[in-house]
Amino acid sequence: MWKSIIYKEWLKVRWYLIAATLLLGIFVSYMFINVQHTIAFMQANNYWNVIVFRKEQYFHLIKYLPLLIGIGIAIAQYVPEIIQKRIKLSFHLPNNENKIILTMMGFGNLSLLACFSIVFLIFVGLSNYFFPYEIVNEAIVTILPWFIGGLAGYSLVSLIVLEPIWKYKMFYMVVAALFIPIYYESGVSGAFEPINFKLTIIALLISVSLLFSAYRFRKGEM
Amino acid sequence: MEKISRYILVFITILAFSIFLPEFYWMSFGKPIKSEFVLYSCIDNDFIISQGPKTTDNKGNKLTVQQKEQKLPLLNMRQLMLDGIFPDSINGVEMDPHVIGVHKSFFRSQPKDIVGPLPRIFPLFESESGRVKLELPNDFFRISWRMEFIDTETNSINEEKSRMFSAVLQKRGFAFPAKLIAGIPTTRKSCDEGYVVTDSDDQLFHIKMIKGRPYVQKVKKSDDLKFKHIACVDFRDKKYYSYMISNENEIYILTQDDYELIKFPIKGFNPEKEELRIFGDIFNYNIIRIGKNYINVDALNKKYEKIANYSNSWSSRDEKTEGKVFSYIFPAQISMFSGYTDFVNFYFTRTKGFNWLIFNILLVFAHFMIIKPRKVNYKNHLIDFSLIFITGIFGFLSVNLFQNKFFK
Repeated sequence: MWKSIIYKEWLKVRWYLIAATLLLGIFVSYMFINVQHTIAFMQANNYWNVIVFRKEQYFHLIKYLPLLIGIGIAIAQYVPEIIQKRIKLSFHLPNNENKIILTMMGFGNLSLLACFSIVFLIFVGLSNYFFPYEIVNEAIVTILPWFIGGLAGYSLVSLIVLEPIWKYKMFYMVVAALFIPIYYESGVSGAFEPINFKLTIIALLISVSLLFSAYRFRKGEM
Repeated sequence: MEKISRYILVFITILAFSIFLPEFYWMSFGKPIKSEFVLYSCIDNDFIISQGPKTTDNKGNKLTVQQKEQKLPLLNMRQLMLDGIFPDSINGVEMDPHVIGVHKSFFRSQPKDIVGPLPRIFPLFESESGRVKLELPNDFFRISWRMEFIDTETNSINEEKSRMFSAVLQKRGFAFPAKLIAGIPTTRKSCDEGYVVTDSDDQLFHIKMIKGRPYVQKVKKSDDLKFKHIACVDFRDKKYYSYMISNENEIYILTQDDYELIKFPIKGFNPEKEELRIFGDIFNYNIIRIGKNYINVDALNKKYEKIANYSNSWSSRDEKTEGKVFSYIFPAQISMFSGYTDFVNFYFTRTKGFNWLIFNILLVFAHFMIIKPRKVNYKNHLIDFSLIFITGIFGFLSVNLFQNKFFK
């Protein structure tokens, strides 16, 4: 039964997930082609100088991409479920309803994590090729909240999509619009060091928030 | 489980509101608080105070723009020369524009220069290249378990250079790694004087590169004297390498060539919360410390002796009308940025006093009126009521956005 549920989730998101990973990959590749180009034109020492002392972010291009991908996965996964209220079929299965929702949510999060991890590892690998660990470390500290924000965005958009009442959908959108920018504040490179752990914990907590609107949905809240 | 998920949503909503509602409030109603600009006048031998367009002397007499310029002739030399009223001599010292220029200096240090994401790799310039223009080297150095030079073209360690510098540092008693590395990492300076560095034992070193070879000088100081911040300067009088702030918040200078540490007679400096500005001219140093709503200025003579002090404070944002209204609405505020560091974090500031408690109690009552028609068991709403009582407007909005409606 669980295998079938996971397979159903995979069918919904597979093409989207592959396209998203490719898109992120293309952006990261472009970023480093740009790095190579800049080094060729302004020389490596000048470029390092600008990165270290003027805090230029060679990775700023991908800032909102993880968020867009997170939102996209949430839509791909949950919009089909609310069309004709198909998710109600899942709730009629002889399984714990919360477990079903958590499985769906877990699948979405793991898919996103897989996509982000692949790209993140490519990013770290290529950064290490061009820059010393001091610069790479600051870059990691800076882009981490963008990726975690992608996971938080996924959870909140899932919540909005599954919420049965439009008035509350709008309210949740306001909350998401206020909350998500926390992950995308424009700090200088390395500035997020003291907050990254807290942002991760919060993103983990939000990942179970879908249970709330799923509950309202299955209880027929109108 | 559903209830827990609701409280998680309420929690993040409270967090988001406590960041953005106060921010919107201050954006709409906040007014700028102008700090004073204070300098010691070598004509009056007293302070001149400017706030916005208004300038007075220390006795409160209003000054016109021209009077102000005449009282601060070294700051306004070009304007006074244009007007043809620049004095030939002041206090018996002949006024030679070149000499005045040599003695002029300005230094600024902010709390975020001390606490924040700071650089950890630096370029080591050639100090005696024989060229007029400085050139950015092709490698950057770090001082970890040794002094390592990283070639920027290949991103690999230059072993030979790293070994040479590390060996000399070790020979001079340097305890790896470095704690503080301070220099002027730009080609836009008059000459290169390398870096002032503290090691892991808080010993002080001056490191530079002369004709490709390491120059390392250990600075004599007492073991108790430890520094938390060093800022190198490039002033035309070439009197000292750097300003330094000790762990006891004293301000020192490190003199050039003879490596003497001179302490300024300044007490009560709080480098993590105050901005420091030092204006130097041919007669005096003005040590200006600016806090959130106060200024403290010490005038020193050229022997670094204190000759006058000025301090003043003004109403802070909280004491103004908009601050008082704020204190009735919001019990606290969370900011992601602090004026004292570039680090991003959740900076929590509790609103002073308990004015907000009245509004919070009103909101608890309002919430009671909202849920009353639903004929609920109030016991199930105790946490919501407590949240509103403590977090006020933030909690009220949050618990009503994510309603506590559960079915049997």
